Amino acid sequence: MSYALTILWYDRQRYLPGVLAVSFSALLIALQCGLLLGLFSITSLPIDHTNADIWIGAPGVLSVDLGRPIREATLARLENQPEIERTEIYLQGFSYWSKSDGGTELCMVIGSRLDENALGKVNELTKDLYEKLEEPGAIVIDESDMERLSIKAIGDVAEVAGNRVRVVGMTKTLKSLAGPYVFCSVTTARPLLRVFPDQITYVLGKCKDPADAKTVVARLRENNNFSAFTSAEFSFRSRWHWLTKTKAGIALGYAAALGLLVGAVVTSQTLYSATMASLKEFAVLRAMGIPKWRMQLLVMTQSFWVGISGIVLAFPAVHGLAELADRLGVRVELPFWLLGGAATVTISMALFAGLLALRSLKSMEPAALLR
Amino acid sequence: MSIGHKSISDNGLRNPAGAYSIQCRDLMKSFGTGEMLTVAINQVSLEIKHGEIALMMGPSGSGKSTLLAMLSGLLHPDSGKVVALGQEIWKLPETELERFRLRHCSFIFQGYNLFASLTARQQLELVAEWGDGATKKEARKKTDEILCLLDLAKKGHLQPGELSGGEKQRVAIGRALIKCPDFCFADEPTSALDWAHGEQVIDLLRTAAHKRGCTVLIVAHDARIIPYVDKVFYLEDGKLQDSNPEGLTRVFGHQTGTGSKPEIPGHDAQTGTI
Repeated sequence: MSYALTILWYDRQRYLPGVLAVSFSALLIALQCGLLLGLFSITSLPIDHTNADIWIGAPGVLSVDLGRPIREATLARLENQPEIERTEIYLQGFSYWSKSDGGTELCMVIGSRLDENALGKVNELTKDLYEKLEEPGAIVIDESDMERLSIKAIGDVAEVAGNRVRVVGMTKTLKSLAGPYVFCSVTTARPLLRVFPDQITYVLGKCKDPADAKTVVARLRENNNFSAFTSAEFSFRSRWHWLTKTKAGIALGYAAALGLLVGAVVTSQTLYSATMASLKEFAVLRAMGIPKWRMQLLVMTQSFWVGISGIVLAFPAVHGLAELADRLGVRVELPFWLLGGAATVTISMALFAGLLALRSLKSMEPAALLR
Repeated sequence: MSIGHKSISDNGLRNPAGAYSIQCRDLMKSFGTGEMLTVAINQVSLEIKHGEIALMMGPSGSGKSTLLAMLSGLLHPDSGKVVALGQEIWKLPETELERFRLRHCSFIFQGYNLFASLTARQQLELVAEWGDGATKKEARKKTDEILCLLDLAKKGHLQPGELSGGEKQRVAIGRALIKCPDFCFADEPTSALDWAHGEQVIDLLRTAAHKRGCTVLIVAHDARIIPYVDKVFYLEDGKLQDSNPEGLTRVFGHQTGTGSKPEIPGHDAQTGTI
């Protein structure tokens, strides 16, 4: 075991506040980011839960739910690409749901083809459900939105943009953000979104080899009449738009910065006081001519291990709290890159705290041992 | 047992056998200014030969520790010079002086100043690795030798809290000797120990001087150390007094260099007072 680790373990009670501070920072960053990712993954749900490789929409479209009508003829542009296996049309947009009690609610209408291999059909629509949706005016909503839409049971009717619709089934896990999702056929969706017969919102494409999607998209981008994205790009773009538009990113930044600041101060003070407690021992080494960088490296190594210990404590807690949130109906996404990023940021913070603690070594005065 | 005594030529310095390994001339040091000015060291000159063990005595506040700090390169004198191994150390740049201390100097302090978390073995290995640049294996080997020499072979795994005062001071001596220094400066190394342990400590320092060629300078109050040393300096009010053996024998009733407790009428062997 290294000297830094030996000292750390022996004096673990002294270092505990620093470890807990790092742990708190890592927990705060990972959970905050996870919550936001979970929240904004709802906006890209129509992309992430369907099977298209390529999305083509109106020029400059910012997010999948902000699509504007494009001409159905655009379909041909994608069909002509040699790497494409099949294409289909897709409609999505906001509309108004008239509740039975007289109120209105913003809803997100999604009209897609409805067969087993359809590209725009969300995976949660079972065969039974999408067969029922072939009926004109048939819609599917999510169970979690029943109260919001004043729907009591399957078979209830309502109005969307003045058109009568009937709930033929429900999904269980497709929670919404801005407005409840309303899944239906393309035919049903047109009047609900009030688009002309030759207008659609997106063209979806499936490549023979999904790896070709980027090449096709790059080729299509030479045309300025529409936007083209791979599904991964469009998903990220949609989340990013909502993250920045709602200023949630700034709130996240503030909270994370605050957490890091608290963590850095507590960790730095912990390391500072621990180093001060061993100052006489360090002074003996200095008297013997042992270079100062050895002690500095020791403090920095200690700060690194404080960081690692904090993360080791934090991550099980993060997963536990994410599980708890999930049971309460709040989604927390914790992808590997997020956990890696949170770990990197907090270890950097611990090392920064170590740098601040190095000031304690300035008061190391070997001659003082002889007074 | 050979613990790697550095030969004179190893140092790359002019240091002929028998010549003085450290000399100081007209050292002056004062603290404060104006009416608060206190002269701590006043025109002190002394010399110690290579492989000699010397004792510096004097009442509290006489400037012993200040003089030790200046001789060992820790405290800059106001004037005068210190020549160690042929080099005028206070003319060296800070980094060179630090390197000089690294290569040639070790210290033993009254308060042991051992890391509470490290075992006796680790205290020594740390200095061997950080000070001498030894590998883990080399440090372990050197440490084994020193622990044997200090009769601490079976206590290497213990932390300072598990050692007696005498054992702790022996570990501190081991830490000082592991890098085979040319100088060992000891400030009150026996003051926290009973005489049995104190005598053991002085014996070890005497061995380091006589068998390993280390120049040892001890600052202490305890007159019982006198028989174990080759030379005694007596400092009073910052000035060096009569330091020849005859003079000191007259003052303390002890003779230097006998290496055994003398029977002196009126001397309390337990307290060391006369």
